[in-house]
Amino acid sequence: MTRLNTNQWLALVLALLAVAYIAMAWQIPTFPLPRPVDSDLFPKVLGFSLLILSAFLFFEKPTPIAGADEIDQEAQQGPLLLTPWARIIVTSLAIAAYAFLLVPLGFVLASVLLCVGLTAYYGYRRHTVNLATSLGVVLALYLTMTRVMDVYLPTGVLPF
Amino acid sequence: MDAFNNLMYGFGIALEPMNIAYVFAGVFAGTIIGMLPGLGPISALALMIPITFSMEPSSGLILMAGVYYGAIFGGSTSSILLNAPGVAGTVATSFDGYPMAKKGLAGKALAIAAYSSFVGGTVSVIFLMLVAPLLSKVAVSFGPSEYFALMVLGLTAVVSLSDKSLVKGLIAAVVGVIISIVGIDMQTGTERYTFGSIQLLDGIDFLVVALGIFALAEVFYMLLRGGGGKEAPRNAIGSLKLTRSEVKEIAGPVGRSSVLGFFTGVLPGAGATIGSFLGYSMEKRIAKDGHTFGQGNIKGVAAPEAANNAACTGSFVPLLTLGVPGSGTTAVLLGALLVMGVNPGPMMLEQRPDVFWGVVASMYIGNIFLLALNLPLIPYIAKILDMPRPLLLSLILIFCMIGVYGMSFSVFDLLLLLGFGLVGLGMRLFGFPAAPLILALILGNIMEESMRRALQISGGDWTTFIDKPIALGLLLVALLSLGLPLLKKRRKKSASV
Amino acid sequence: MTSLTLKRLSVFALPLAAFAGMTTAAQAQEWTPSRSIEFVAPANPGGGWDTLARTMSRVIQQEGLADESFAAINVPGGGGAVAWAQVARDTGNPHKLFATSPPMILVPLAGASRYDHTDFTPVARINTDYSIILVAADSEYQTLEDLLNALKEDPSLSVGGGSAPGSMDHIAIAGLASAAGMDASSVNYIPFSGGGDAMTNLMGGHIEAVVGGAGEAVGQLGEGSQLRALGVSSEERLGGGLSEVPTYQEQGFDYTFDIWRGIMGTPDMPEEAVAYYEDLFAEMLETDAWREASDQLGWIDAYQNSEEFGAFLDQQQEQFSDVLSELGLLRQ
Repeated sequence: MTRLNTNQWLALVLALLAVAYIAMAWQIPTFPLPRPVDSDLFPKVLGFSLLILSAFLFFEKPTPIAGADEIDQEAQQGPLLLTPWARIIVTSLAIAAYAFLLVPLGFVLASVLLCVGLTAYYGYRRHTVNLATSLGVVLALYLTMTRVMDVYLPTGVLPF
Repeated sequence: MDAFNNLMYGFGIALEPMNIAYVFAGVFAGTIIGMLPGLGPISALALMIPITFSMEPSSGLILMAGVYYGAIFGGSTSSILLNAPGVAGTVATSFDGYPMAKKGLAGKALAIAAYSSFVGGTVSVIFLMLVAPLLSKVAVSFGPSEYFALMVLGLTAVVSLSDKSLVKGLIAAVVGVIISIVGIDMQTGTERYTFGSIQLLDGIDFLVVALGIFALAEVFYMLLRGGGGKEAPRNAIGSLKLTRSEVKEIAGPVGRSSVLGFFTGVLPGAGATIGSFLGYSMEKRIAKDGHTFGQGNIKGVAAPEAANNAACTGSFVPLLTLGVPGSGTTAVLLGALLVMGVNPGPMMLEQRPDVFWGVVASMYIGNIFLLALNLPLIPYIAKILDMPRPLLLSLILIFCMIGVYGMSFSVFDLLLLLGFGLVGLGMRLFGFPAAPLILALILGNIMEESMRRALQISGGDWTTFIDKPIALGLLLVALLSLGLPLLKKRRKKSASV
Repeated sequence: MTSLTLKRLSVFALPLAAFAGMTTAAQAQEWTPSRSIEFVAPANPGGGWDTLARTMSRVIQQEGLADESFAAINVPGGGGAVAWAQVARDTGNPHKLFATSPPMILVPLAGASRYDHTDFTPVARINTDYSIILVAADSEYQTLEDLLNALKEDPSLSVGGGSAPGSMDHIAIAGLASAAGMDASSVNYIPFSGGGDAMTNLMGGHIEAVVGGAGEAVGQLGEGSQLRALGVSSEERLGGGLSEVPTYQEQGFDYTFDIWRGIMGTPDMPEEAVAYYEDLFAEMLETDAWREASDQLGWIDAYQNSEEFGAFLDQQQEQFSDVLSELGLLRQ
């Protein structure tokens, strides 16, 4: 048994998802009034299409991972927190935290924190410029949305 | 020369000093709204209704129409510079616009977008003026069967949009349809794939997916490749000037896409987004260098930009001649007109010619304003790319999140955005094209709905799709467009053997 | 404070704050708002609820009727369910209101919301619209009876509407069919993505008739129009462009249908606050600014105070659940 290549791994994952999707398609309740095509037909067709396509993918010759060679090699050797994949994870966590803190902290504060924090984390050292730009952009957006467009954004702990 | 006299009458209204000011204010506000991802023309117009409340109807519509086409005009800027589509209609612009910007051709891409938008907008105003009353008949001749056929035709573009691996392109398209049917099924009110979450009842918003898969994924991808400022400083803007051969090259695509876009816009329910995709995929198929689409081909910027602006103008046909809105945006415009005491409809040309011809004339002026406003600004706007890379990345993130939150006010959607960003990154790494997913996401739901609607009207009789000449014709074209590339390939093969 | 997250994070803080507000309100003889009022439209900008909330805010502010401002906030999602879930968690908060209409009854009956109208405090009914039946101008159906007879004979004839099965337009036509002695579920109702979409399909001859809101249809009628109205669901004939359209009752079908719009508040909103808003809205309805706005929007005032509105809602729920169960769509 040889090792599976990338496409074969992907095909297996997709096939599993397709099976789960098909299983769920059978849970869709029938509409009480007669319909020529009910809500479940499309999901079933889509699920089986995905299943068949993943079979094709299994036998397709894999292409190299796009840009794998371009991944920042230097940083990969550097501190763990700054490796390329750590950057993705930290950024994702920051976005999730932003989502949950947006309302309690308020739009302006949360956005400025996220922007300043990530910029510094990505390696920008001129903190004054960083703070000034972030604050400027966020405030400009905030004032446009709330004052001009009359769109309500959470104010949070700040009074405006 | 009836049209000429009418147009002169219209210019008489549009050239009143106050109305010139309104055109300018409208297109200026529209450009800015378009550039900000998320805050689309729909909410902008809805929020403007109170302002137009006390205005003369022609002035009010001139102002609001300006915001609408201004937003479509301005939306290309963030698509090209940040890969973050400002409005749904400019998603297709990012396919080639962003690669151009990455190559240091941002200035040229923005200039092409501006010129193409201008031509698309102007050509379609001419159409609007000459054939609007006739076209209203075309618009209503599209029932559910015809829409189904049109969507099928649109979806055949998936084949040409998936370059390297057809299988991967098709998988992306299936996933796109899968995303599009999440939520309450309009035909039965049944929930599908909502996992019991009320947040998903209305489905997943198109812009959340587009911003995630394009802009956020791009940020992630850049982070993988080294977020620090280590990259060689690039020629961020490049020249704005087009060479004569470039002008020649885009003339055809712009012309064809303007016409195609206009007719797409006339059909209720189609609109700028579908128009721009159809324009893009049509040109990709026609072009000799079609395989370089997606890598920064100037025709790939010109076609969708001409088409989306033309479609935007086209959508005024059903609004003004039938009084029925073809899209969410024109629905809001209709509401505004009603508030101002104008009843758009077949009688409007006779009852309120000032509104109709005033708006048509103002669109000529507005498009000139847009060009004059945007071209000189390009070097300054494109300076965004000169920003230190870390700062630019976090600002793109902020833009996306403000865009999503300002649209749905939902924390859940922010998490969805993150999810789609990660999905987009994975798709990029493993070579799945994003364009088919987006296309299928737009068309899939309409295709399903119109198919089921058609079948319910026909009582389950599937011949409804081939009994109607328009539907049959569209399906045949779809079949042809699938068959031709295969035939070409086979001929090539046999020739080489 | 619009998002669910805050509510989740501050489970402890908020009820206390609300409680504090409540006790001070109860001590005062007459309650007045102490900060700006969050006026929730459970939909995107541009829809019926949004228009109601924004128009009311504007009129109240223009006429200086309240010391504090009404801030219209859009909370779209789930046909209202997202906003309802959010308001339901804000028990007792006197500074939060939302705009409402028949989906408040219909969506919960279809099983798509955990909260129904009894979870909230009715404040006032404001106005109403009616349901109307349209056919193409060159249609052979001259009266409502013609159309209903044709539907009886050939149940495959399609009637389009702008909302999903089991929601407003469907109930309006199914109820009428039922009143005409037909089986409510026998109407071949075709849902379109909006009233405008349905009307275009009617003009193109793809469907036989359309059921929709009278306010939405008025612009489509009149001289030279491609559409014709067969009947309207009000008790008496409407004014303006619809004065020629006979009611269902006039044509011998004992059936009325209101597309009412009203305002509701958080669960257990203090009585003093409800009284304050009742008076405020009643006063607002008397202003010229309101008169002008609702004339242009085709709204017909139909004020009811909190108590009447509550009883009306109960009665609506009964009526709708009858129709829904006849259709087999009742899921509770």
